[in-house]
Amino acid sequence: MHRTRIKLEAVAFTLPSLLLTLALGIYPIFWAIRYMFYEYAGYGTPKFVGLYNFERLYHDERFWNAVTNTLVYAGGKLLVTLPLSLLLAVLLNRRMRGAGLFKTIFFMPTVLSASVMSIVFYVIFNSYNGMLNQLLQQLGWSRGVEWLGANYAMLTMILIAIWGAVGNYMLLFLAGLQGIPRDIYESASIDGARPAQQFFYITIPMLGPVLQMVMLLAITVSLKGYESIMVLTQGGPFGKTDVMFLYVYKMFFPVASTTAEVQQFGYGSAVGFAAALLIGAVTLIYFYASKKLNSLY
Amino acid sequence: MNRWSKRPSGANVLAGAFLLLVAAVILYPVLMAVLGSFKTNAELNGGGAFWPTHWQFANYSKAWKGANFARFSWNSLFVSAAATVGTLIVAAMAAYAADRRDFPGKRLAIAVQASTMFISIGAVVLKPQFDLMVAVGLHRTLWGVVLILIAGHAGTYFMLASFMRSIPRDLDEAAMIDGSGFFRTFRSIILPLLKPGLGVAGLFVFRSAWNEYILPSVFTMTNPKLQTLTVGLANLRYGVSAAMQTDLMLAGACISLLPLLLVYLLANKSFVQVTAGSVKG
Repeated sequence: MHRTRIKLEAVAFTLPSLLLTLALGIYPIFWAIRYMFYEYAGYGTPKFVGLYNFERLYHDERFWNAVTNTLVYAGGKLLVTLPLSLLLAVLLNRRMRGAGLFKTIFFMPTVLSASVMSIVFYVIFNSYNGMLNQLLQQLGWSRGVEWLGANYAMLTMILIAIWGAVGNYMLLFLAGLQGIPRDIYESASIDGARPAQQFFYITIPMLGPVLQMVMLLAITVSLKGYESIMVLTQGGPFGKTDVMFLYVYKMFFPVASTTAEVQQFGYGSAVGFAAALLIGAVTLIYFYASKKLNSLY
Repeated sequence: MNRWSKRPSGANVLAGAFLLLVAAVILYPVLMAVLGSFKTNAELNGGGAFWPTHWQFANYSKAWKGANFARFSWNSLFVSAAATVGTLIVAAMAAYAADRRDFPGKRLAIAVQASTMFISIGAVVLKPQFDLMVAVGLHRTLWGVVLILIAGHAGTYFMLASFMRSIPRDLDEAAMIDGSGFFRTFRSIILPLLKPGLGVAGLFVFRSAWNEYILPSVFTMTNPKLQTLTVGLANLRYGVSAAMQTDLMLAGACISLLPLLLVYLLANKSFVQVTAGSVKG
């Protein structure tokens, strides 16, 4: 009797959490799985179309453009962010004056809203009279750069993403570095190992597991991000910065500047599902590749 | 290693210069936002000096009263505070039950939480979430946004569970023997001891609620009165007024950024600790 009561109480304590998660976290996923087989514009009765949405996806150039852009966006961001944040972490891991202040500054973007900062970056990168072009002009570069134009918009978006992410990964790497005993470095430098040698023969191998975990996190996070692109370019110009999840978003909530869009809940669900699968696939490939690398060591 | 910090070597000067350069790049946009928020529109668009010629405090009152930022701030504060309190309560209760008791379906409940952290299909979920809120009549209030934010409590749940594990079980067992029930033990033993964990987790929930953009923007599309700071600000970029109001944008951005910057400067140890802790596991 007493035991059942205790169990009931525990269940009661779990219920708010479980009900909220089931209703607003799990149910929407099943909703999407259902509607990806339907054609549904938000009014009238949804029409069952079987696998048609996936056939359409296969031939949808805008989707594949978004896939390519996602890979460029995430890849570009990671190629700079990871080495840079590791370098910063190694530099700050030494005993030096001001290390705390540097850490505070580098981590700060992580605390700030991506959408709000995107508005600030809009003022900075704006091609016509943005702050950066004004600065370049004062330095004698009279023509300026069309930062948000077709040629440079993706690069600009990558730069903004790097700005926002470096501090976060620096901190994760720092935590990993602090787990490496300092005497290893001391005995290595007594043996005459130079800083570069120490980095490649001690730091990298000892950091192995942390490095792998951080990279896994970094890959999935960067493939999913679209908030600052949405605020800054809405995927434009000419779809140059359209990424997968932004494309999904537009299927559900057409944005003002792209008037040609109509709500397409069925097809949108299929695109969202495909995007999730692609991200899963990339993660798996990374997972196996890093395991292979592990056995080489 | 110690030698380095005493005598500046060439490598050390180089490293210091590099760190300063990165710090300057990181600070640049925030500094430009703060300084720019005190400039006139003409100054901003015409390429003025680094410092404002005349400090335009009026930009802030213009944003606050004229561009509705008072309303946006209140909405942001409401959403963030309610989401923080709600998330902490829901997650702490569930974490307490899972850590201290065995009950049917416990493993399933934990698995459900974990799965929500790994599956992401993007904005698709916003549509059924919105439909649900219409069904219960909450789509015209900010409570809908708050509920959806609370529903995303998996991260907090696992964070609190790990804090909970470090509270000795003997304490609540002793309390139970003295006749304290499941709920009373939670309220008078566990919650007070969980305070540091609740504080840190609360900081993270508040931050992400305050910064949330896509969810409130979808929910307030037809209801501008409910817009939060992030949404109201982004609308200045795509708003109906054709002329760009850079001064308003930057003053608005600062109204949104400064509270969190302040919290960060006061509590950056907590932010740093938890982020680092997520690696050590």
